[in-house]
Amino acid sequence: MEHHLALSARGVQMEYRDRQSGKRLLALENVDLDVPDGAFVSLLGPSGCGKSTFLKIVNGLLRQTSGEIKLHRVAKGREDAMVFQDASLFPWYTVTDNVAYGLVCAGVSRKAARERVQPFIDLVGLGGFGDKYPYQLSGGMQQRANLARALAVDAAILLMDEPFASLDAQTRELMQAELLRIWNAARKTVVFVTHQIDEAVFLSDRVVVMAARPGRVIADITIDLPRPRELSVKRTPLFQDYGERIWGLLAGRQEETASQGRAS
Amino acid sequence: MARASTADGPTFRTVLPRQRRRRSAAQRWYRRNERLVLSLLGIVAFFAVWQLGADAGIVDRFFFSSPSEVAIAGWAELQRARFWEDVRVSSVELAVGSALAVIVSVPLGLVIGWYRRLSYAFDPWLNFLNALPRVALIPLVVLWVGLGVEMKMLIVFLGAVFTIMVATVEGVRTVERQLLDVARSFRASEARIFTSLVIPGTLPFIISGLRIAVGRVLAGVIIAEFYAQTQGVGVMIAKAAATLQSDRMMFGVVLVTLLGIILYEAVGYAERWFQRWRPSLDLEETT
Amino acid sequence: MTGGPALVARPAAGAPARLRGALGERVFYGLIGFVGVLLIWEATAQLGLYRKSLLSTPSAIWQAAATDIANGELWPHVSLSLTEFAIGFVLSLVLGVPLGLLIGWFRRVDYLFSGLLAGLNAMPHVALIPLIILVAGIGMESKVIVVFLWTFFAVVVTTFNGVQTTARKHLEITRSFGGSQWLAFRTVVLPSTLPFIISGVRIGAGRALVGVVSAEFLAANRGLGFYISLYGTFLDTARVMLGIVIFGILGVVIGELVRVVERRFEVWRPDLHH
Ligand SMILES: Nc1ncnc2c1ncn2[C@@H]1O[C@H](COP(=O)(O)OP(=O)(O)OP(=O)(O)O)[C@@H](O)[C@H]1O
Ligand SMILES: [Mg+2]
Repeated sequence: MEHHLALSARGVQMEYRDRQSGKRLLALENVDLDVPDGAFVSLLGPSGCGKSTFLKIVNGLLRQTSGEIKLHRVAKGREDAMVFQDASLFPWYTVTDNVAYGLVCAGVSRKAARERVQPFIDLVGLGGFGDKYPYQLSGGMQQRANLARALAVDAAILLMDEPFASLDAQTRELMQAELLRIWNAARKTVVFVTHQIDEAVFLSDRVVVMAARPGRVIADITIDLPRPRELSVKRTPLFQDYGERIWGLLAGRQEETASQGRAS
Repeated sequence: MARASTADGPTFRTVLPRQRRRRSAAQRWYRRNERLVLSLLGIVAFFAVWQLGADAGIVDRFFFSSPSEVAIAGWAELQRARFWEDVRVSSVELAVGSALAVIVSVPLGLVIGWYRRLSYAFDPWLNFLNALPRVALIPLVVLWVGLGVEMKMLIVFLGAVFTIMVATVEGVRTVERQLLDVARSFRASEARIFTSLVIPGTLPFIISGLRIAVGRVLAGVIIAEFYAQTQGVGVMIAKAAATLQSDRMMFGVVLVTLLGIILYEAVGYAERWFQRWRPSLDLEETT
Repeated sequence: MTGGPALVARPAAGAPARLRGALGERVFYGLIGFVGVLLIWEATAQLGLYRKSLLSTPSAIWQAAATDIANGELWPHVSLSLTEFAIGFVLSLVLGVPLGLLIGWFRRVDYLFSGLLAGLNAMPHVALIPLIILVAGIGMESKVIVVFLWTFFAVVVTTFNGVQTTARKHLEITRSFGGSQWLAFRTVVLPSTLPFIISGVRIGAGRALVGVVSAEFLAANRGLGFYISLYGTFLDTARVMLGIVIFGILGVVIGELVRVVERRFEVWRPDLHH
């Protein structure tokens, strides 16, 4: 299989400006990132380091202040689809209509979209819940619907912003395994944002570690764990080595900024 | 592995940064104050359309007067002793009626809300009286106390009393659900629970009730004055309309609108202050 | 309580308690309160504790209702008031909802109208009644205008507040999937504004009823408000009370109707289903 790049970012900067006060905040500084087609890459970093900002720029919800983003064109459909953080379903739509919404946005009729999304509802394990409203679902089920909505538009790249952050530990592990299964079956490229080190290591081919103020990339670690991965891989020494290395990177940063704070 | 490959050519969709627009200082100032500027513009435009429409004969002066005429009539009105007497009467009616309403409704509401069964027993009547357009009571009240100041005070009182009472009852019930288990588990006495939890917890609800009551007491006093035709700002408006002095009438309308804005702002301010910690209350607002 | 027995007795439910349980506490005590007040009212008046002309009595009001319904005197008044209400109300919805949506959806339009609307909304609209009667006469038109204006502002203001509180997060979803602005409007703004529109309708309906009564008091020769004030001048308290009761019932019924519509349109809101 030919390996082309699915996504390439060069020197991306993002500066937020407050409308009222005119104050500026550098959310991303000079971010370079290449994501090969079919890869699973995680962005990991402390709160406020610009992970969501980066995803939104790639998705087109925000425009960077400088730098360049390139997305590999696809023959039909969208290049990328976003899986939002929790509770991003429309409360006034049923599960089916929510999952179909991405297609409706692409111009498919409501009726046709409903039919086309059935396999995806089954795929994420929500078969039989199509007529339920979001408030009738558990948090984990809502998150699956959220995932199904992004899968249904058949985009080449899935952008996932802390999709499992609000789930309990067990559901989270279940969803991680499920995600790997789906990723494997659908051959997507995934850019996955998370706070959790073990989640990033378990899922990814590469973990991109970021630091805050300004938001920037401080390390890019390739995870050489065999695939397909079972949950048991989390107990191997290699897995734990990766975890500690990344933890060291994040903690080191924190000490550094703390001492900077004292010095000034 | 993939590092070697390039990201160029037509197979890629490129997203470039947005061109930063150069803005002058004036443009930046406008962007920061756009909301204020435009909303003032809206108000000015309203009066301008009214004035120009009247001057051009599109808006019928006979009925609607014009802002300049209203201003002149208003200025003349301010010099008249009779006008100030009207203002005084209306203010007293409003103040006494509202104060009485608060004095009666808050304690009653607290008691009714505190005893669940009592509150169920009063529910049908409170709901009925709250849904009833209180102005419908004017002829009845006239039968009771005649056409004088007492009647108008009573109408103001009736306009506010049930609204505040319903809000207070609702407040006590909400507080009860949220806090009582905690307080009871600490073996607090009923009296202590009441003074330390229920009364402060209900305060924001009472103020929400007050906000809704503002519209009702204002409407009440004006209609009562229309009906009685004795004294007050409402009478001034009605008399001006009856004698086809549309400028004076419009001045009266502007005056009560200003009063409404001031009262709403005052209560709204108090409400926001008391509700810093609580999401807003969706009480039914009917005049 | 101190000094009581060490064990607190919890007796089994007796017959009244069982009845209470079957009906639901709320309904049980509600009925007691309702009937109780009626009985006390009737009894105190019959015992001559106060003049009957002050408040009439439930039985006298009942009698007045029976007579005036049987001889067809009441219905024309009620139907006229209802017609005025319905026409003005529907007009205000047809014009107010789109205007509210427009104002809320376009930021600059909103800025332009925000100050003006805040002022017009704080205005005691009843102050306009003399003007409206002057312009439109004492017939049905003036009441329709009154109902329209009262409801219109409530509907416009709540609708545009609704549009503005549309969750940013939800609007982002449409953009993220490349949906058009028009799609966002139909699929996100409209449904999330609906609860606001309905609450505007409820507020407006209450105000409109006040408008009908007030306008009919001041100038009319028919209508329920006229009926009340007419019998007021005849010192016929029973009929005054009858009119008031009918207005109260209308208020309650309209409120309930709005609630039915709310349930019908908002199946997705968990708090509306118990
Ligand atoms: N719309 C905005 N306007 C101004 N500043 C913003 C805006 N959105 C984000 N920021 C700021 O940009 C920085 C990065 O935010 P971002 O949401 O990308 O962080 P994050 O890494 O996703 O954090 P978290 O892990 O908490 O989600 C933060 O300091 C945040 O305060
Ligand atoms: Mg984030």
